[in-house]
Amino acid sequence: MGNCLASNSTDDLTLLNGRNEGPRESIDQEPVLQFQENVQPTYSQVGTTVHQSLTEDEQIKIAKRIGIVQHLPISQYTHENFQSKKVPSECDICMNDFVVGDSIRYLPCMHQYHVHCVDNWLMRSLTCPSCCEPVDASLLLSSFENV
Amino acid sequence: MSCPAERRLRKELLELLTNPMPGIYIDEEKVAKNINEWIVTIEGAEKTIYEGETFQLQFSFNEKYPFDSPTVLFIGKIPVHSHIYSNGHICLSILTDDWTPALSVGAVCLSIRSMLSSATKKERPPDDMIYTRTCSKNPKKTKWFFHDDTV
Repeated sequence: MGNCLASNSTDDLTLLNGRNEGPRESIDQEPVLQFQENVQPTYSQVGTTVHQSLTEDEQIKIAKRIGIVQHLPISQYTHENFQSKKVPSECDICMNDFVVGDSIRYLPCMHQYHVHCVDNWLMRSLTCPSCCEPVDASLLLSSFENV
Repeated sequence: MSCPAERRLRKELLELLTNPMPGIYIDEEKVAKNINEWIVTIEGAEKTIYEGETFQLQFSFNEKYPFDSPTVLFIGKIPVHSHIYSNGHICLSILTDDWTPALSVGAVCLSIRSMLSSATKKERPPDDMIYTRTCSKNPKKTKWFFHDDTV
């Protein structure tokens, strides 16, 4: 557990500083690497403001939250999504239509939003904007600890 | 104001103007001047104690909207209701703690109209005098306690 958390926080700090190198060296699992690369641009901005003004405890809290959010699946909005009626056609946060190729994040309740829209919200509250279902922090944390 | 908030407000405005909600009217002129300040007129619903009355809500949005909730208060004639203070402040959880970015101006108006509709008698909140004398001008700075889900 200790190692797992420690490696996460180093990565997250790297994200906060907005540097490119780092995650690539310290993480050898392919899927995690992919998530981090996807997420990096989203957080670099949040991170830099956060970095200077917050206490260490608050920074750790944010880093942990980034860790949780990163484990929520992302996929690209496809032409099939567009044609099927199962997937909603717009993001409830920005109210813009999904466009083929957009990165979509899936919450455990299966509601979907643009990655940059929902990540911005999840940093404030770990709940689904539409159904208020908690993005189950404890479940995800325990899966971290079991790695 | 940054673009995303403004873009979303324009979307909401367009939606409310093309598909108006019953009893809810947007002051288009006011919004056209400043997209971050809306005045919405709410009609008391039929067969409720507010039937025939109209009230005005003022919405103010900051650049973090929809991640930050709008500041919403009644202006002008304030409805007499157990969750509405005589200075126009509204005790409604979705305006602070329970706000989510999936809510909208329309959803807030609907919620307030329904809050009015379910009231059975016209009375001010019990702590109206103390609250209005001591509160901040900004209702979002009040730490609200939501204890009554019936009205």
